[in-house]
Amino acid sequence: MENKPRHDPNPDSTRPEEPELDLYTIPSYSSWFAWNDIHETERQALKEFFEGSSISRTPKVYKEYRDFIINKYREDPSRRLTFTEVRKSLIGDVTLLHKVFRFLETWGLINFVAPPPPRQGSDSDDRVRVEDGAPNGVRVVATPNSLRPLLAPVVKGKKSGDGVEESGVQLPHLASYSDVFGDLKRLHCANCGDNCDSGYYEYKKVNFVVCVKCFKSGNYGEGKSMDDFELKDCSEKSATNGVVWTEEETLLLLDSVMKHWDDWDLVAQNVQTKSKLDCITKLIELPFGESLIDSAKGGGYSSSTSMNMIGMKPVCLTSSEHQENIINEDQGYDGTIENEKNGDSENQEPPSKKKRTASISDADSSLMKQVARISTMVDPQITAAAAEAAVAMLSDEMSCPREIFYGDQIDLTNGSLSPTLRADAIGESEIQERSSPSESQEIHLKNSDVPLPLRIRAAVATGLGAAAARAKLLALQEEREIEHLVATVIEAQLKKLQSKVKHCEDAELLMEKEYAAIDEFKEHILGERINILRTTHNTGTAKLLEPSSVQSQTGNIS
Amino acid sequence: MKSPASASWKAPLKFRMPAAENLVPIRLDIEVDGQRYKDAFTWNPYDPDSEVVMFAKRTVKDLKLAPGFLPQIVQFIQSQLATFRSYAGQDMYVGDKIVPIKLDLRVDHTVIRDQFLWDLNNFDSDPEEFARTLCKDVGIEDPEVGPAIALAIREQLYEIAIQNVTSARENRINKKGRRAAEHFPISKPSGAALDLMKLFRSSVVRKRKEWDYYKPVLDLLSNEDVDALEAKEERSG
Repeated sequence: MENKPRHDPNPDSTRPEEPELDLYTIPSYSSWFAWNDIHETERQALKEFFEGSSISRTPKVYKEYRDFIINKYREDPSRRLTFTEVRKSLIGDVTLLHKVFRFLETWGLINFVAPPPPRQGSDSDDRVRVEDGAPNGVRVVATPNSLRPLLAPVVKGKKSGDGVEESGVQLPHLASYSDVFGDLKRLHCANCGDNCDSGYYEYKKVNFVVCVKCFKSGNYGEGKSMDDFELKDCSEKSATNGVVWTEEETLLLLDSVMKHWDDWDLVAQNVQTKSKLDCITKLIELPFGESLIDSAKGGGYSSSTSMNMIGMKPVCLTSSEHQENIINEDQGYDGTIENEKNGDSENQEPPSKKKRTASISDADSSLMKQVARISTMVDPQITAAAAEAAVAMLSDEMSCPREIFYGDQIDLTNGSLSPTLRADAIGESEIQERSSPSESQEIHLKNSDVPLPLRIRAAVATGLGAAAARAKLLALQEEREIEHLVATVIEAQLKKLQSKVKHCEDAELLMEKEYAAIDEFKEHILGERINILRTTHNTGTAKLLEPSSVQSQTGNIS
Repeated sequence: MKSPASASWKAPLKFRMPAAENLVPIRLDIEVDGQRYKDAFTWNPYDPDSEVVMFAKRTVKDLKLAPGFLPQIVQFIQSQLATFRSYAGQDMYVGDKIVPIKLDLRVDHTVIRDQFLWDLNNFDSDPEEFARTLCKDVGIEDPEVGPAIALAIREQLYEIAIQNVTSARENRINKKGRRAAEHFPISKPSGAALDLMKLFRSSVVRKRKEWDYYKPVLDLLSNEDVDALEAKEERSG
């Protein structure tokens, strides 16, 4: 070994030594390592080399591998040594070499101070991969009709108590694109490849589809006769098997599912016009239907706010139901935010059955965004009513906002302005908790004299401020909880360690006692032996005893 | 202490893939009605045969192949599986066997050439893990390269295993009449195995000039090169 580097087992200690020797840091749990020896740890971890089973696996070979790899790393400790770099220089089975490499890496004898490996693949959301077209093994089909509700690939992340929660989509074994997106796929005629939107003929025995034109012209492949084809009209765009679900029925379905979770008989009874199977199918097809079923199975509300929010969405369409649901909405978040967003946005898309599904399925965790999204999709009257209800709730809680709010009712005549002003009032009521009532009254009075755009801005600002303050409070609370939990965890760990140490001490004690006992026994035996020898010697039979073991002892005696 | 060179006679191993998982590499290249389907993957030979049909159906459906592909795919897969299974139960080889494995493949834009040694007796070996490490170390981002490498390794191991079975069979036939101790010579370099004595005798560190042969060489092709190569393959294939 031409270059004998010193290794410093304790990474923190400094040595005022000769400057010619390089200092390499290795962790303290690897202080057993020595250049000219193979430690028990190594023998245990890499048994293959020490069993004498092959000429390619001997201790000498192992030592050469190990020394080479470590020296290679130490040529430049600041760069991360990769396995591929070393295996080109070493003769031997790559799997075994890899094992040695990994062993050295886990014990910190290499790559200890090197930077961590670059993470690829899974967390590359900041890195955008631009690909030209689809990957080679995948064929691209026509884009599915975006108005249709999505099917199976809903993130099934709500199963609580399951072992591993994958952030991706759970697909069954050997699932293929057409299984998962099957219903979204437009049907293509097997002959001419046209879309079969208007109507198609389905071959009854196999999954073979022919458009109307081809059927009439008679070319639908060999071996099939005209009678075998069944006409299926797909003029309606419902994703169910030809069953039409009106809005009222959907509403009823959802209501009854909420009430009787798993009891499909009762659900079917409620939705009188549809059978049990239809109900279940329809529910699965709704994008949040899966999660409803999951929570049903879970036996409870997984999260009441999200459930209520989600449950409220399709119901928004009918004004008769909205009151009840808007109060649900209020339980989750501040109604003012939604209101102010509504006041700002002039373009209200008409609520359509299809639009709602697209947004909910990719709702992110931010409540604000969800509120904003929801509010943009419903009618302004509904959001106005929502705000009213929210204000009513707040007023019930505290008396001050009631004064402020209802006191100004005289001013609020204009329909479009009322939401904004109400938001203003509510915003004020929030700030009330922190500032004195007089100040806010002043501000409020001032605001009513201020022109409209400024009012709107003020409303926006106060609304946002209120939400932000609340969010901060929640965050603080969460932090405290986290700290508390971490402390508990650490305590538990400490207790574990303590009991382990105690256990070890007990074991040590036992061992010592046993050792002492064995020593005693040894002495005893020795004493007996001496006695026997003495007696035999005295009786003059020394010559008859075997010379081998006794020779050395009796040598001196005789 | 027995020296490893005179290791006692080991029982011959039964045929199987010399890797942790006994998977069969399957390669398909079918042409029907002007459509060409090329694919390569690993298959678990212990799966029931109904899975083959299901897989073939799924493939035809997903890739929009002509229905004439279905029986061909099933037949090709099954024949390759049958070949694999026909070797099962036969003796493979005895003693140490470290073979060189060479890689020379193109996956889309990536061309990779490499060479390394593989121990056939090491049943912890995992071609997929080796491929993953290789891609990670060299920085290959194309996710199709890893499995292609693993498949290439498996194919070569399969070849070697088959060769060993046939040579073991020949050996046995030759020595049938002898009454002497059936001691298969261990250090006899048969087929692709390397002479371990010579290899491991001095140092296991290679000479520097050989280092470049045993490291992976990566090439990234441009789109034109890829198109040119594919056209050439179509013509020759």
